[in-house]
Amino acid sequence: MPPHALTIDEASLSFGRFQALKSVSFAAEQGQLVTLLGPSGCGKTTLLKAIAGFLALDSGRIEIGGHDMTGIPPERRDTAMCFQSYALFPHLSVSDNIGFGLRQQRIGEAEIRSRVGTVAEQVSLVAQLAKLPGQLSGGQQQRVALARAMAVRPGIMLFDEPLSNLDAKLRDQVRMEIRALQRQHGFTAVYVTHDQSEALAMSDLVVVMRAGEIEQMGRPEDIYRQPKNRFVADFIGTANIMPVRVIGHDAASGLHHIESPLGRLTVRSEIAPVAKTIFACWRPEDAVLVAAGDETGPNRATLRVLSRTFLGSLCDLIVVTEGENPVSFRIQMHGFTPIAEGERITLSLKPEAIRFLGEAAE
Amino acid sequence: MSASFSVRPYLLLLPGLLPILAFMSLVIGMALSQSVGYFNFSGDSGFSLRFWHTVLSEQQFWRAFWYSARIALFSSLLSVALAYPVALWLRRPFAGSDLVSALIKAPILVHGLVAAFLYVNFISFQGFLNAALVHLGLVARPIRMQNDPYAIGVVILQVWKNMPFAFLILTGPVRAIGDDILDAARDLGAGAFARLRRVILPLTLRSLQAALILIFIGAAGDYSFQSVAGPTSLNSLAQYMVRIQQDNAGHGWNEAAVIAVMLMGLSLFGSAALAALIQFLLRRTGR
Amino acid sequence: MRRHRSAALLVQTRLPVVLALTVFTIVLALPFAMAVLWSLVDPSHPWAYPAVLPPVLSFRRWIEIWTTSALPQALANSYLLAATVSVSTLLLALPTAYAFGRLQFPGKATAQMLTLIPLAMPGFVGAIFFSALLVRFGVYSRFAGIALGHTVIFLPYAIRLLSLSFAMVRQDLIDAARDLGASPLTVFRTATLPVLKPGLLAALIIVFILSIEEFAISYIVGAPDFTTVPTILYSYLGYNFIRPNAAAISLILVVPNVLLMLIAERLLKSADPATITGKG
Ligand SMILES: Nc1ncnc2c1ncn2[C@@H]1O[C@H](COP(=O)(O)OP(=O)(O)OP(=O)(O)O)[C@@H](O)[C@H]1O
Ligand SMILES: [Mg+2]
Repeated sequence: MPPHALTIDEASLSFGRFQALKSVSFAAEQGQLVTLLGPSGCGKTTLLKAIAGFLALDSGRIEIGGHDMTGIPPERRDTAMCFQSYALFPHLSVSDNIGFGLRQQRIGEAEIRSRVGTVAEQVSLVAQLAKLPGQLSGGQQQRVALARAMAVRPGIMLFDEPLSNLDAKLRDQVRMEIRALQRQHGFTAVYVTHDQSEALAMSDLVVVMRAGEIEQMGRPEDIYRQPKNRFVADFIGTANIMPVRVIGHDAASGLHHIESPLGRLTVRSEIAPVAKTIFACWRPEDAVLVAAGDETGPNRATLRVLSRTFLGSLCDLIVVTEGENPVSFRIQMHGFTPIAEGERITLSLKPEAIRFLGEAAE
Repeated sequence: MSASFSVRPYLLLLPGLLPILAFMSLVIGMALSQSVGYFNFSGDSGFSLRFWHTVLSEQQFWRAFWYSARIALFSSLLSVALAYPVALWLRRPFAGSDLVSALIKAPILVHGLVAAFLYVNFISFQGFLNAALVHLGLVARPIRMQNDPYAIGVVILQVWKNMPFAFLILTGPVRAIGDDILDAARDLGAGAFARLRRVILPLTLRSLQAALILIFIGAAGDYSFQSVAGPTSLNSLAQYMVRIQQDNAGHGWNEAAVIAVMLMGLSLFGSAALAALIQFLLRRTGR
Repeated sequence: MRRHRSAALLVQTRLPVVLALTVFTIVLALPFAMAVLWSLVDPSHPWAYPAVLPPVLSFRRWIEIWTTSALPQALANSYLLAATVSVSTLLLALPTAYAFGRLQFPGKATAQMLTLIPLAMPGFVGAIFFSALLVRFGVYSRFAGIALGHTVIFLPYAIRLLSLSFAMVRQDLIDAARDLGASPLTVFRTATLPVLKPGLLAALIIVFILSIEEFAISYIVGAPDFTTVPTILYSYLGYNFIRPNAAAISLILVVPNVLLMLIAERLLKSADPATITGKG
């Protein structure tokens, strides 16, 4: 078996007494894109800097192409990083910034010029090549940072929120360029983003971090469909999380019976609940509207519409249960739905749409 | 508020700026005019180039001129060459770095004449250095190091006094270079030397030049270090100027004025040439 | 791994710190210790080769310098001069510094450059031709002449320091005070003066020190009958090198100034840390 392109093995790192990374491990195959997701300050940038070699680990190791990187300085690692702070060289023009790494590799001047031109085109910077970084807008600076890292064509690309300062259209365009480049050159990428839809759309592997630790990692659809706990469920997409009580299990049909704020429900789950009282979640788009008088759908509940937001292709509803302790949920309907605020509606949830989380409710 | 032109700021400038400009133009004007024979204190005044002739054909003058130029060049280059790595080393604070930078700056607070005395006292016949050398058995008896003929003492003093000054000028700009920028350079394959040449030096070029210029000017016009610790067979330009002014009863002022103009020229053009040279070298090797 | 890192850290920081301390000891502490020793050599028991330490230590040399030399007069001259110069320099610098620190006007950068010209003038050229001007304009008072010269050549320092202080006064505080109906005097007292005061004091002290230390003008204009501390030190360093006297006067020249400078630095730091570490 060929070695992984990148292996992080129980990496721990601290700043003084503050532990920024706690035994982080994951691996990426050649040509994969790994996204790091997590709230601000959870250690994403720190992890990238450790991979690039700017920060030394306290313990654990990082391997690139099967080689232990301990003690190898950044300039001798086959990585290129696109900095969150851009870190452009203020005294060099855009084209000299982009060509910095190439000049370091002693590539011929003509070759440098052509490669700088190509990369500049990919990030739409051709018109800015002669300017100094101080004369660029924030989004343009960000693209220079991106181009500068991509120009050296490293084995591992480290992206620290490379698109955060771009408008939606440009972001889509540059994102596609990154994917195209990756297919073309086959680099492995570690990609930090705050945008979970971006993470779901781009990555082969999603790593969700919290406070220096990995909460969960896996393929995007797995993480989305089966989040491990409330934190991940809430962080990836929107989720309706509710405490439930497990009251029975039907071995023949494989269904679990639960008591929930929505009444009695049946759940089809591959993983068994870890406790009698537990949290479960479902996604807003999984709820199906049931016509009045229709008695066929599973897991039916009648709720009152609190608010309704029309979002174009979607309709976003906040609904509440009736009774003395109202619980609110969020649901999404495709297309235009003629429902008014205050109206009562009946919803149905498929047993497989409801997921047990690995956390007991008290 | 009206956008009309206001004279108030310019009026406010007068008390500070006017004395400076008046003083400078009068002093420089006096030197220039006396060098060509005007405003004589004795004898007739009138345009004449003979003082220039006299001074510029004097071999002693040229010895003093090139001596001062040499001292200024060595002192400024050495001071900056010593201060720069230290400023880089202290770029990021660590335990004890504040103490170190305070100690480095300490000589700024020591008067030049005191420094000269301390130095002479240190290397003199009875000084610590000789005592140490004798005790270590390196020499049989104390050696004479005072007023050495190569002016090593003067350069040591200049560097002693000016290295902290260069450090003070360089330390701010060096600290202003962000960690991320240096990390980015490393990440793109730049080793320590490449980072220095391609990132750090270009970003601190202006301060580097400022330090070189100021130290050059100071050292070119030196009087006290030279007269206390310098070689007795040579004069610095300032020393020569003072001597000519005091000794030559008749044309002392006029000839001193010529020397003054030459000294100002040396300060101005010498330091500018040095700054330009550094920039040129950096451009050549930079990129 | 941990040990590896801390060993590297040790080499990176501890070693140079020790090195720096060693260099400091050799180039600063030892020479000063020597100066102190020399100033304490008893006049009747000279310190001569091959004695490693002075045979007898006493304060007699200090007493002798104080009673027989021109030192008391030189001290009086220096300090009176410095007081006069620091006050007059500050008064002249204030309006200009205000303009630089708080107003925007065309030509400001040029004007700021112009104030720095005296720094590029070799000290003895300035001193000699300034003395020629004094003769020309018939200023025969040595004190007035030197005070005038010092005031002008130290203006750049005062203007620069005070501009920084003025620039730190916050316009929003002034506006807020005005908005609340305060009189101009109250505005000045509450919003301007507290920020300005440390800078003012620091500038005062720094010009004071610069004036005490100035040698070229004091020497050229004052010689031979008007002495200041540096000129008297110079006289002991020149042809008649009297080492114990020079040692004592060196200490008199350095120690008070160092103390004053530490106060000034404290003041500047209390106002804003960036003024010292900033642009220098
Ligand atoms: N040099 C440092 N010294 C001390 N603490 C640091 C240092 N750098 C980062 N930290 C701390 O480490 C933690 C992780 O920082 P990091 O920059 O990795 O966060 P992040 O996940 O990239 O956050 P963001 O999404 O806001 O960029 C933070 O709590 C931060 O305060
Ligand atoms: Mg970050």
